[in-house]
Parts: sequence; structure tokens; C-alpha cells
Amino acid sequence: MNHYVVTETAVIDAPLGRVWDVISRTDRYAEWVAGAIEVTDHHGVATVGKTYAERNRTLGPLKTDSVWTVREIEPLKRRVDTGTGFAPLQDVTNTFEFRPVQSPDGRDTTEMTYQVEYTIPLGPLGLLLDSIQQPAMRAGMRTSMANLNTLIRSEDSGTGRR
Amino acid sequence: MTDTQSTAAADHRGSRTTDVVVIGAGLAGLTAARELVAAGKSVAVLEARDRVGGRLLNHDLGDGQVTEVGGQFVGPTQDHILALAKEVGVATYQAAVPGETVYVNDGRAKRFTGHTPPDLFALPDMGIALARIGQAAAKVNPAAPWQTPDARELDGMTYETWLRKAEITGDAVDMINLFLNSAYGGEARDASALFSLWYVSTFGNETNPGTMERGTGTTGGAQDSRFVGGSQLVAQRLAEELDGRVHLSAPVRRISQDSTGVTVVSDAGDWRADRVIVAVPPLVASRIVWDPLLPAQQDQLFQRLPFGTLMKCVAVYDKPFWREDGLSGMGLLRGGSPIREMFDNTPPDGGPGVLMGFLGGKEWRKWAHRPAAERRGAVLRCFAQVVGDRAFDTIDYVEQDWTAEQWTQGGPTSVAAPGVLTDFGQWMGRPHGHVHWAGAEFSPYWNGYMDGAVRSGRTAAAELLDRD
Repeated sequence: MNHYVVTETAVIDAPLGRVWDVISRTDRYAEWVAGAIEVTDHHGVATVGKTYAERNRTLGPLKTDSVWTVREIEPLKRRVDTGTGFAPLQDVTNTFEFRPVQSPDGRDTTEMTYQVEYTIPLGPLGLLLDSIQQPAMRAGMRTSMANLNTLIRSEDSGTGRR
Repeated sequence: MTDTQSTAAADHRGSRTTDVVVIGAGLAGLTAARELVAAGKSVAVLEARDRVGGRLLNHDLGDGQVTEVGGQFVGPTQDHILALAKEVGVATYQAAVPGETVYVNDGRAKRFTGHTPPDLFALPDMGIALARIGQAAAKVNPAAPWQTPDARELDGMTYETWLRKAEITGDAVDMINLFLNSAYGGEARDASALFSLWYVSTFGNETNPGTMERGTGTTGGAQDSRFVGGSQLVAQRLAEELDGRVHLSAPVRRISQDSTGVTVVSDAGDWRADRVIVAVPPLVASRIVWDPLLPAQQDQLFQRLPFGTLMKCVAVYDKPFWREDGLSGMGLLRGGSPIREMFDNTPPDGGPGVLMGFLGGKEWRKWAHRPAAERRGAVLRCFAQVVGDRAFDTIDYVEQDWTAEQWTQGGPTSVAAPGVLTDFGQWMGRPHGHVHWAGAEFSPYWNGYMDGAVRSGRTAAAELLDRD
């Protein structure tokens, strides 16, 4: 059984509280998580022990249905979910961690660490599979954090509403 | 005292009397009233809202500039609205802006020129679909779609089912939905195939058969031109011409008929008239209290012609910055995008910059009840995919949700599900005693469009005068 840990980090140009509010909404993952086509079931603000479901894009035109369970919440710091439905990936654990940081010009921003742990059985074939899928997974994680940054910018850009 | 009040004397029961009451001060009702006044009739137009124009609504941008948050485009073969606008002194200008259009599929943006999106996988399906639509729509009589060969079969399935019969990749339905999103405020699965083919057949006039290309086209098509001063200005000019005959904030609650005429009960008082023209959306008409009742078939028809679900989303910028990048501001977006079609809605003199997108159909259903800031963010992200991140730097943002309008209840037009046209369609414009019908949905050409509204107003007035 091959065990893998993939980690990516990015700075989200928004205060920690704002970032936390968005990532806590289980109904919103299709808006910023790369590969999440649709949230098919959710429970609103993430609650430990509850689940949500997604339709995800995997490789090329292939799609899968996944179910996630919220395992840990450390407010404004850490969130851990486990997911099923990503065969041949098994024991999938998704972790978000956050840390407030100041931008060079003094704005409150947030460092986000996005980590996915998983196993792939199948011995050497699993290694081969991972060499194919891991680069795409990393790119997806980076894209997701860029999307999160854009989402928050789009909602917070100042304009008078009539 | 207004002219209406001076010519419409109060009778012994306290009702004001007039030859004709027109209900609804949209383009159809105002046009009908204009024709009747020209023929020497006394007319009172009763409008539920505190404004005229119906589905035409200007949004004030300041400094005398407006942009439309309702119907806005006109084009070739829409002879009636174009002639009417000219008569009331409202000029048109070309809507298309020079520059490239952006096609976005699954988040990937491609610039292109011309009418064909750069998508090699979608084009075969689109080609097949357009050829089939053209062939089938040509067999539909715009004035009597229920007489179409195979009408019952076509009316027994949704447009999506019909389109999927010849699909290869499944892209055709999605591409057609790009158009229906704004045209129906809906999807191909909401409408019957017969209704949709008939709708295409109405994109023309008596000498030019309707085509999909004309309906979806920009230059040379239905999105060819806009009105200087905004489309609502046409209605406002008509109302000015009617010189006090239009009564605002006068929703009609009840229409009673007897052998000698019609009594119309409104929140602004009662009117007694020889005849009435009802020029409100079919579903809204069905909610008036009728005495005697509407014929059951007509009532069923009107109840089955709801408007779609549509919101116009407008972002305002200090200038149309995308033009400097060689972009037209027009975008076609697929792959679950909330906005699927967007345009440069900048006023004709070039400022301020305005982008407008349609949030319709299933995307309206998904986003309409989300928090306003989240919806606005989703719309601006769509705009950013087309014109870049400066789309976030708005100076104003406006939404017009037509489903929230009590006197319209959706937009932009009626969409008939399977079974409606063949079972009830013949009851569409049939007069009910002394009551005649007008509205964009009552026209055999440009049904649901401004031109259809003007045509229907003229037809209803002519029908009424003919019966006198």
C-alpha cells in the first residue's frame, strides 16, 4: 500500500475570518474547488460528523461522485475532512490550515496550506498511477486556492449597490 | 383635469365612461391606445405600475445616461417597432461593438471573431442542430403552429428531447441553451419542441420567414440595434402623446361584461367602456377576476403560459476598458457558468462602461435566492473571464429580477411546455365578448419581442375598430 501526502501553500488576499467563512460553507465548494463540478448534497456551515457530497471531474472527461465527512474543526486554524469515491485513491484525507499574515503593504492576508493524504493499492501499478495523477492534483490544489482568492475578491470589491 | 377625465364623464354609478379601456401601458397597450385615439375613440389606459413601459425599463446612470435592465435590442424585420420609434422620435444605433468575442468553456477563454465559436467538438452538433431547426421551423405557420405537420408529435416532447435525437456529443443542447437562457429565461427542457420551432418561425415578417440565425444574430439579427435614450423612452413618448389618458398605479382587479359593455374595476376607480383591450402578460390576465369567467380553454391556456425566470445583471465601470484590449465585451460562457451570455451595454457616446449579463433559466433557479453579495461575485467572476480582472473594479452594480415584478412575474416571455399549443393554442387571441387581447405573446411575428408587442397592439385596435 503506497501512502502519499501532497501539500500546496498559497496566500489568500483576505483576512483570516473572511477566508474561514467561505471555506466553512459546504454548499460553496463547486465555486472554488477545482474539479468540483457540483455540490449535490450539503449541510451548510461545516459541522463535525456531518457529510456533504460532490460531483467531481477526475481525469479527462471522467467524473465521479464523492462523499466527504467533516472530521475536525479548529476554528480559524484547521479543518480536516475524509472523502470516499475517488478510486483507486483510498483513505483520502483533506486538510486545510490557515495562518494570518501581513502583506508587504500592511494588509491582513491569510496563508493557506492545502494538504491531501491518500493511499493507492496495486503495488508498482499504484506508483505509476500516482505519477500520472499527482501533478494534476497539485495543479488543482493551486488552482483551487487561486479561485478562492478570486471568489473573495469578487464579492468584496467595493461598489455602491442600489 | 386631464383629457381623459374631461372626455370620460362619470356615470350615475360613479364609474367614468370611455369608449375603450386599455389595460396595461407596455408597448402593446400604448400602441393600441394610440391607434384608437387616432381613430377618434376616447380611451383610458390603466397601468398597475407607477410607470409605463412594462418589460422596458431604463436604469439611470447619472449625467443623463441610461442603460436598459429590460428589453433592449431590435433588428431587421422588426418593422413595426422600428417604424413606431421613428414616429415618436427615438433613434437607433448599432449595438455591436468592434472587437473580439470571448468563448468560455469549462473556465478556458478563447477570443474569436465572426459568428462561430472556436469549439471543434461542439460545431458538428451545432451544425446538425441548426440545419434541423431551420428545416423544421420552415414548416411551421407562425399564425397557426398547431397546423404544423406532426404538430402533436412535436408538441408531445420537449425541445431538448427533440434536439437530442440527432446529437453526437451533446453540445448542441448546451449551445442552444446559451440562447434560450436569455430568450426564454429557461432551458430547452422547459419548452415543447413545437413551441420552440414556432418561436423560431416568428423571427421574421410577412415576407421574410423566421430563421434561427436572425433570432440569435447580433449585426443583421435580433440584437442588431438599440435605442438612443433607452428602449423605455419609446413607451414614455407614446404615453406623452396620449396626453393624460394613461392612469398609473391603477391595477385592474375585476372585469365584468354585460350586453351593453364592460365595467373595469381598478384601484384607481371604475371605468365603464364599450370595449376593453387587455394588454398584460397572459398569466397576469388569468388572475383578474372575470365576470363572466374566461372560456375555460382560454383560462387554461393563459395559466400555462408563464414567463421564464430571468434577471439582468449590470456592472458599471468608469469607462469600457475592454475596448482598449480589442474586446467587444460580448461573451458566450458554458460549463455551468451563471452568466451564459453577456454584452457591452455602454451608452452610445462611449461612457460610462457597462457590461450586462443574463442570469436565466436553471442558473437563475440556482442563484436568485443566494445572498446578493455571493450572486454579485459570481456574476463579476463571469465578466472577468471575458474581459479580465478589471471586471471587479465596478463603480455600480445593478440587478433587475423580473420574477420579482408583480405585474410581469418573470421574463422575458411566455414559454409553453409540451401539450399547450396543440390543446389550447387556438384560444390565444380569441376575443372574449367585448374584450380583446394584445401583448408581445399574441403576435405571430417576433413573439415575445418589442416588435411583437407593437404588432399585437395594432392588430387588437384594428380588430376592435372592425367590430364597431
